[in-house]
Amino acid sequence: MKDMNCEDILIQKSALIDGEKADFSDEQIAEHSADCENCRRQIEELENTIFLLKRQKRREQSADLWSAIEKQINDESESILTVKWQPFALVGVFLVIYKLLEMIPERDLGWFLRVVPFILIAALFGFIKENPFKINSELILEK
Amino acid sequence: MDDSKIIERCLKGEKEAFRFLVERYQAQAVGHSLAILANREDALDATQEAFVDAFRSLKKFDLSRRFYPWFYVLLRHRCYKIIAKKREAENIEDAEIIAPQTSVSGEEKIALERALRSISREDREIISLKYLDGFSYDEIAELLKIPRGTVMSRLFYARKQLQAKLTGKFH
Repeated sequence: MKDMNCEDILIQKSALIDGEKADFSDEQIAEHSADCENCRRQIEELENTIFLLKRQKRREQSADLWSAIEKQINDESESILTVKWQPFALVGVFLVIYKLLEMIPERDLGWFLRVVPFILIAALFGFIKENPFKINSELILEK
Repeated sequence: MDDSKIIERCLKGEKEAFRFLVERYQAQAVGHSLAILANREDALDATQEAFVDAFRSLKKFDLSRRFYPWFYVLLRHRCYKIIAKKREAENIEDAEIIAPQTSVSGEEKIALERALRSISREDREIISLKYLDGFSYDEIAELLKIPRGTVMSRLFYARKQLQAKLTGKFH
């Protein structure tokens, strides 16, 4: 069992007054406070404060936030849609130019330039924070 | 409809379903942020932003858990962001936290409101969760993401601060 100092006694007693489980029993606390004037006085004050607090209730707050929240959510979705097509368009244009360069006869682009399209695609998915390998079980094929 | 069903609908793209969650918890959330901010305007802003944060993060929500304790973390974060923005310039107004009741005299209620406003935000928050909402120590531990023992001691010291402000009034 824990050593009983006055502070522990008061903390545990508060829990008991609050109707909660505590490490010390009421008997142990009473035994300690029988010889401790300070604890007796503080327990009385504690009981008064808790009694006062327990009679209170939180004031009901009126609020109607949905229209503001809905607007914010919709604005964000729209801005996401307008931002999202731009990197795709940019990568598309780059890939077309890259393909045209590749078609020039007897032109070796070297291994580094060959991986550029892959790096670009990976960067694009990183930018839009999407995993291209994620399986979406909610997708349904239209008949 | 339970919270997890609503969240599932939101995740399927039905944004309108989020309205049920907002309407279910907005009053409680404003009350909680008011206990931290002590300013109704700020409390409404914090609650609104927290709901938008929640909507953005719904994908991360574990459907086996309860919505409100998860949301409360976002709400507190928003409240403290507002406090940081204002650089601790206390913007405490006379927003009432406690409901008027027949069993409590007007004088007693005013003194308690004043005492609550004069203690720290953290103390006011934990006291209001315990006594105004009636949450258990375990529930407060879940909301504040702290161990039960910490709830016990923080509540004890918070009550002591409040008691010091109230001394001589009703004891």
